[in-house]
Amino acid sequence: MFTKIMAPFKQPKLHSQINDRRKKQRKPNDFGAVIKRIWSYLAIYRIRLLLLFFMIVISSAMSLLGPFLVGITIDTFLEENEAIVFAWLLLGLLVTYIVQSLSLWLQNYWMIGVSQDTVFNMRADLFRQIHRLPVAFFDKRQLGELMSRITNDIENVSATLNSSIIQIISSVFTLIGTIAVMLWLSPLLTILTLLIIPMMFYGMKWITKRTSVLFKEQQKNLGEMNGYIEESISGQKLIKMFSQEEKVMDDFLHKAENLRISGFWAQTFSGFIPKLMHLLNNFSFAVIAAIGGILALNGAVSIGTIVVFTEYSRQFTRPLNDLANQFNTLLSAIAGAERVFELIDEKDELASEKDKQKLEDINGEVIFNHVSFTYGEDKEILSDICLEARPGDTVALVGPTGAGKTTIIQLISRFYEVSSGRILLDNRDISTIHKESLRSHMGFVLQDSFLFQGTVKDNIRYSHLEATDEDVIQAAIKANAHSFIMKLPQQYDTNLSFNGSGISQGQKQLISIARAFLAQPKILILDEATSNIDTVTEVKIQQALQKLMVNRTCFVIAHRLNTIQNADKIYVLKGGKIIEEGTHHSLMKEKGFYQQLQNSKERSV
Amino acid sequence: MTKILKFIKPYRIAAYIALILMLIELSVELLQPLLIGKIIDEGILNNDMSVVLYWGGMMLVLSLIAFFSGITNSYYAAYVGQNLGFSIRKKLMKKVQSFSFTNFNTFPHASLITRMTNDVTQVQNIVFMGLRIMLRAPLLIIGSLILAVLVNWQLALIFLITIPIVVVFLVVVMTKGGKMFRSVQQKLDTVNNVMQESLIGLRLIKAYNRRTHEVKKFTNVSNNLREQTASALRLMEAAMPALLFIMNVCIIFILWIGREQLQATNIEVGEVVSIINYATRMTTAFSMFSFIIMAFSRARASSERIVEVLEAKIDLEDEEDGKSLEQLKGAVTFEHVSFRYPGMSSYVLKDISFHVRPGETVAILGSTGAGKSSILQLIPRLYDPTEGAVYVDGMNLKDIKMDDLRKRIGFTPQESILFSGTVEENLAWGKSDASLSEMKAAAKDAQIHETITDLKDGYETKLGQKGINLSGGQKQRLSVARALIRKPNILILDDSTSALDLQTESKVLDAIDEYKCTLFIVTQKLSTAKRADKIMLIDDGKIIEEGTHDQLMNTSALYREIAYSQSEQGAMDRVY
Repeated sequence: MFTKIMAPFKQPKLHSQINDRRKKQRKPNDFGAVIKRIWSYLAIYRIRLLLLFFMIVISSAMSLLGPFLVGITIDTFLEENEAIVFAWLLLGLLVTYIVQSLSLWLQNYWMIGVSQDTVFNMRADLFRQIHRLPVAFFDKRQLGELMSRITNDIENVSATLNSSIIQIISSVFTLIGTIAVMLWLSPLLTILTLLIIPMMFYGMKWITKRTSVLFKEQQKNLGEMNGYIEESISGQKLIKMFSQEEKVMDDFLHKAENLRISGFWAQTFSGFIPKLMHLLNNFSFAVIAAIGGILALNGAVSIGTIVVFTEYSRQFTRPLNDLANQFNTLLSAIAGAERVFELIDEKDELASEKDKQKLEDINGEVIFNHVSFTYGEDKEILSDICLEARPGDTVALVGPTGAGKTTIIQLISRFYEVSSGRILLDNRDISTIHKESLRSHMGFVLQDSFLFQGTVKDNIRYSHLEATDEDVIQAAIKANAHSFIMKLPQQYDTNLSFNGSGISQGQKQLISIARAFLAQPKILILDEATSNIDTVTEVKIQQALQKLMVNRTCFVIAHRLNTIQNADKIYVLKGGKIIEEGTHHSLMKEKGFYQQLQNSKERSV
Repeated sequence: MTKILKFIKPYRIAAYIALILMLIELSVELLQPLLIGKIIDEGILNNDMSVVLYWGGMMLVLSLIAFFSGITNSYYAAYVGQNLGFSIRKKLMKKVQSFSFTNFNTFPHASLITRMTNDVTQVQNIVFMGLRIMLRAPLLIIGSLILAVLVNWQLALIFLITIPIVVVFLVVVMTKGGKMFRSVQQKLDTVNNVMQESLIGLRLIKAYNRRTHEVKKFTNVSNNLREQTASALRLMEAAMPALLFIMNVCIIFILWIGREQLQATNIEVGEVVSIINYATRMTTAFSMFSFIIMAFSRARASSERIVEVLEAKIDLEDEEDGKSLEQLKGAVTFEHVSFRYPGMSSYVLKDISFHVRPGETVAILGSTGAGKSSILQLIPRLYDPTEGAVYVDGMNLKDIKMDDLRKRIGFTPQESILFSGTVEENLAWGKSDASLSEMKAAAKDAQIHETITDLKDGYETKLGQKGINLSGGQKQRLSVARALIRKPNILILDDSTSALDLQTESKVLDAIDEYKCTLFIVTQKLSTAKRADKIMLIDDGKIIEEGTHDQLMNTSALYREIAYSQSEQGAMDRVY
């Protein structure tokens, strides 16, 4: 029961639409298999679980025994000279209560340990798996959806393990136990008490049929209104500039009004549920009192029995209610667990790598030998690509969006595998080289320079964890990043917030260039950024890149003119094929596609 | 909290009705143990069937009364809750609409959105729950106590001792637990953050083979989360058995003392039964306490956050004798303007002075963070300068009615924001009574007309959340059209043509020339700057160079460097 307090602490979701979408897919497909799988996590703790189960049995039994003893004690009130029996009964009650509280405490204590450890293990498995999955897996999926699977689904499992298991088991025990003892004490009163079950069932059905529709409506209106609020806040500048305050207010009130009406009915009807439970409780209480009274008059039951029944009837509706609630959360947790397992079961990219060759040192010669690449089944993205980079060469890849430039880079680093043909590194087929060993010889400056939360220093060091502070600073100096870093509040120890917000796109690039300097790779892979970077930083980036490319085999997806002109070889791609190759000058002379491309760039002042 | 509760005032009658109904319901529940005592003492022990039937029937009738009051209560409580939420939202939105940008800066966007959405819902729900169940638990305990004393004060004495202890115990545990759960939330955020970074930075992590490094990092934060969660939960879960035990010991005492008194024959069995019944009801009510305290403290935090917004001082308002502006020629003067964002210590603009004649084009160049956007924001008076003054047509901005001023200015921000709605609706933002032909003219000038007509529903195509997404360049052109439609006297383009290719951009600028407005344009491209009557080079909040393209080519080394890096010749020279 106390786990309910967790609820207010959970961060509410802003995007109600996301929740909507998730709810639709809540039903688990293969119930049994998922449960078995969850059990495999829990089985490590089977001794603790067994003890825990035992404690639940004890506490349920004690919660039955308590009222029963109270009833007997009250019956002794009417008999004279039972002082010793009375004392024993009180002692019995005390022991019952102690055992009950103790077993309750222990079962919770153990369950929390087991559930937190289990969730920890699941999280760790999931996280490890994420880093073993091939890039292709992530390209096919929406990041947001994946993130919600990882966070919400695991949270769901965690919450359910924490509270539901104990509640469900103890509810079942209490329910069975209560009915059994009641039947033993007085079959007639029991049947009268049980009458409330069908009443409760129909009442609940009537209410939920209405509330589910109303809640959906409310959720929709809430989503619309919240969306409007988000929009109007982020567009505030425009609202002010165009003096649209009144229109915004009107639109907003309209949406808020819709929410008010649907919210009103949803809340009214959902408010009926506890009232119904109260009614049934009161009802059975009254029936037991009246009928019990009549029976007592006939001597069929004792007063103590009536007392026991009134207590039991209260204990009896609660587990019923709990079971109904828990069943839904249990279902959604199992569905959540299923999605987590799906991810863990995805084919990972390292399993087949174990026996592959590891490279100590390389020269950096890269050759594409009739390489084709097909994404999925249908579309050929690269066809019959042949290219060659001698050690230290700079190879520029040029072409319109979708020509296959990025794919070539992804194939070299084995983010993707070729469909046919071979890529050779120092005359070795790269598919025979261990992926991690292959990548350890490569440095990357990718279009979106990603920064981790942490200090600037740690971010640069990411490419070479053993680097000293001095190494880091040297790399930053080479990357032209030193001067702006020194202007930051704590220089190299400045903490960067999530994905480096707070520093500019250009500065992020400088940091990622510093990273590449530190890595000292033989092969450099460079995807030039196109986003608008201010002119001064742009100059710095270009100078740093020039330095970085010296003495390294470089593959560059080039947008900047001077990188292209520097290149030893330019490959012009279109529609997945190399249509022209040569140096800048030879290609300009050819007056082909490359020349057209250059002219359309219009870079003249 | 009390400030928020004032919003209930218009609905107080409904609130009172809800409260009264809840009290009726509660009294029925409180009467039951009393009645069962009566049935035992006067009915069973006196062998009087009619008493049993009478009170038994009475209990049934009372439960029905309780049920109907409960249902009606739900109706009134929902009415109060929803109306309260509605009025708070309305007030908030109104307030936020009157916010100046200084106000906006004091509240981060995400936080403002949370305040207007979740926090209001939170308060609304708590009021609804409060009128229905939450007040019930404490009232039930108080009521049980009173009735228990009335039934038999000697027996009830035990409650007077234990209940304060239980209350103090719960409050202590809850406060401690609350703190621990906040820390759990933080740990959870950290875990999720690492997860998210892993997903976004996936390629980088793979490229540098940092798998084990990341796993180690994750295991570390995840372990923190596990330990913190376990200890927080264990504390909370320990409270329940303890509470149960204290209340159960009460029952033992009641039985004991009850029997002693029974021997002295000044008490009847029914009374003991009633009091034990009250004790178990109190136990149930107590177990609701944790939930109530938590919900209440959350609602209090929410209402504090709402009140903060409602009470924010608005610093930018029209002067009482603000002049209305009939027309504007478009001269703009900055006189020793310095500016820092409110709450920040460093100046983003330092002693800026310049004068622009009507119809002139001014290009502003400079690196990120140099202060370009800040200069532009002062012209439509989104902020007031910290020092110095801004004039249009010789009038200080502070003396002009804000609405009048802004009506004459066309503005396209750096990030082109479109609202969900049709293309037409988005254009109408610029001029609410614009005719379709006016829209088309503006769209043509912004080179977006053809794109629009190619869309499925032309000008009636839906954009945004539920509609189609336009590309960056299309958005920029649409937002330029939105600014042009009002035929502004001053037009401000804050780097809002960056995604256009040179040809399209120059067509847009040619069209803008026809509007004969004063134009401020932030750009990174010299080809664009070249068109301007005046180029200002901004660095670190100061104008470092000023002049025409030709002048600057002669006088400014920095300008030449930029020009050089952007020219084909420059690139060539570096190669050889």
